[in-house]
Amino acid sequence: MSGVSAPPPHSAHTVAVLLDDALVTLNRAFGVLRRRNVPIEGLALHPSGTAGVSRLTFVLKADPLTADRVAQQLHKMIGVRSVMVLANDDSSTEAKR
Amino acid sequence: MSEMLSGAAILCRALVDAGVEVIFGYPGGAIMPFYHALPDHPRLRHILVRHEQAAAHAADGYARASGRVGVCVATSGPGATNLVTGLAAAYMDSSPVVAITGQVSRPMIGRDAFQETDIVGITLPITKQNYLVEDVTDLADIVAEAMAIAVEGRPGPVLIDVPKDVQNQKIEWHGAQASAAPRAGARGQGGPLTPRASAGSPGSVEDGVRQAARLIKGAERPLLMVGHGVILSEAYEEVRALAEKTGIPVITTLLGISAFPDGHPLHLGMPGMHGEVHVNRAIQNADVIVGIGLRFDDRVTGNTASFAPQARIVHIDLDRAEIGKNVPVAVGIVGDARDITRRLVAAVEPRRCERWVEHIRGFVRTRTESYRGDLSPEAILASIYEASHGDCTIVTDVGQHQMWVAKLYPYQRPNTHITSGGLGAMGFAVPAAMGVHLARPAGTVWAISGDGGFQMNMAEMATMVQEGLPVKMAVFNNGYLGMVRQWQQFFHEKRYSCTPIWSPDYVKLAEAYSIPGYRVKEASELADVVGRANAEPGPALVEFLIEQEANVYPMIPPGGSLSEPIEAEPAAAAGD
Repeated sequence: MSGVSAPPPHSAHTVAVLLDDALVTLNRAFGVLRRRNVPIEGLALHPSGTAGVSRLTFVLKADPLTADRVAQQLHKMIGVRSVMVLANDDSSTEAKR
Repeated sequence: MSEMLSGAAILCRALVDAGVEVIFGYPGGAIMPFYHALPDHPRLRHILVRHEQAAAHAADGYARASGRVGVCVATSGPGATNLVTGLAAAYMDSSPVVAITGQVSRPMIGRDAFQETDIVGITLPITKQNYLVEDVTDLADIVAEAMAIAVEGRPGPVLIDVPKDVQNQKIEWHGAQASAAPRAGARGQGGPLTPRASAGSPGSVEDGVRQAARLIKGAERPLLMVGHGVILSEAYEEVRALAEKTGIPVITTLLGISAFPDGHPLHLGMPGMHGEVHVNRAIQNADVIVGIGLRFDDRVTGNTASFAPQARIVHIDLDRAEIGKNVPVAVGIVGDARDITRRLVAAVEPRRCERWVEHIRGFVRTRTESYRGDLSPEAILASIYEASHGDCTIVTDVGQHQMWVAKLYPYQRPNTHITSGGLGAMGFAVPAAMGVHLARPAGTVWAISGDGGFQMNMAEMATMVQEGLPVKMAVFNNGYLGMVRQWQQFFHEKRYSCTPIWSPDYVKLAEAYSIPGYRVKEASELADVVGRANAEPGPALVEFLIEQEANVYPMIPPGGSLSEPIEAEPAAAAGD
């Protein structure tokens, strides 16, 4: 509930996922994105700073409902600790080109 | 008091500790240490199937009938891949199954060894969780965790892949560990989902229940739609109380059948592609739909753009990801169907919907189709109902017979209808019925199949004989892959491409398996033959020679609107 006007139908969302640093968990998370046919731009995996936990970040070009749906599919995965979705136009740093 | 135990022995003990009594499996090279240890654990009854697919379906049937985890075991490579269809079926229908597969020894993994296959990778999208056991010290905890994950929340399958050398590894064993405690981080659910709310996203349960009660109060044409979640949470009394307190008519989805008594005056029937006209018209006219434990699957909704155009939808589901996935919802409530429905019963004001129910009754169409020898699906199913005194579990396969059973069998008792709904796996009925029998040894089980699906897994008759599983098998034989033929008739210019299917002589086949076999050609033979088959102490097979080109009516064309059913053979084949 950011209080800003409704975002355009297909806007960019940044999704950050904290999940177990295990190949099978990462593989499963990528599988969710592939299987649900999620339109993704860029995918980055970093250490989270906590041992045994990785941070997976990607940009999703979709309407807000689709973004929520993706977040929920990831959220229910075993091994996923948290999912954050940020609409990119909530941020004033995105420059108009 | 420690002793040296092999991984295989630990695996068996962990299964016993988890309360497992039956496992369905098939031995092979990479799982041999487990089979070597198995006879030392007589509490684990092993059912030797004839194909691993049947092991997975049987474990699924056992799980659905008992509410407990069904366990199946296979070797690496082909054994493991043969489980895949059964695991996918369990995943789609939220059934708690644990599959244990042998794997090649750790030093061989990744070298394309004999019977090596990446079953963990293959089953990732069709399991809730899966494991490659890399160290024997993890094994007992992994089994305990897998058993817990399979049943908790929305149930589903879990796979444990155990390399052969891990099964052979010996460690000092100090008795059962505190294995209920999850391994660190392994079951991490929770944390903030998203920092912003959006339309249709579930709020608090209290708010949701209050809003749902308000919608029900203001509704003129409300409906309850109940699905598998009601059976999984055993919310039968609660759903019935909600319906009776509000007078709202009840629709049961394919997997919700038997969650509400068929003969109840408020029961309308099954919706969707083969739903009766009055059920689908009720949906299209409803102003409020309360969906409990269903996922608004495309076979239920038809084209979602035209689904229930006037309705505000309340969606109650345990799986938050289902809320708003397929249809937009006005109120989403995340929680156990039984708990939420109980709260909803308390929150709603008593009301009646007599005019609306009367209105729906006005949509009811009666059709008369003719059948060879009067051997209609109604007559066959009535004979099974009578022979079993209405007290049996019906397991169906996939296709026309499945839809006839779903629409016509008068289910009275909860969870007595078991079928492969989501995956729609032909070949499901016969092995799943074996699992149902083991879960309900005192009850009668009928496995109803078509001639196509029966031939997929009919080898399991040998399993029934060897293991003493008295499953009654009904084969609806029309000489076609009937549902595909029906689609060919309606949508492919009657080009019956590859759908005529030859069958063996089923009576002789049964005889070859030392099972009594019967053939029914006329309705007049039904009572006698079905009665005799039902009374057999062991398995029995009855073939019904039904009308070859009978169709399942009505039918919503794939992707079509619930408002536009096909109710008779199209005059000219529609090109599509």
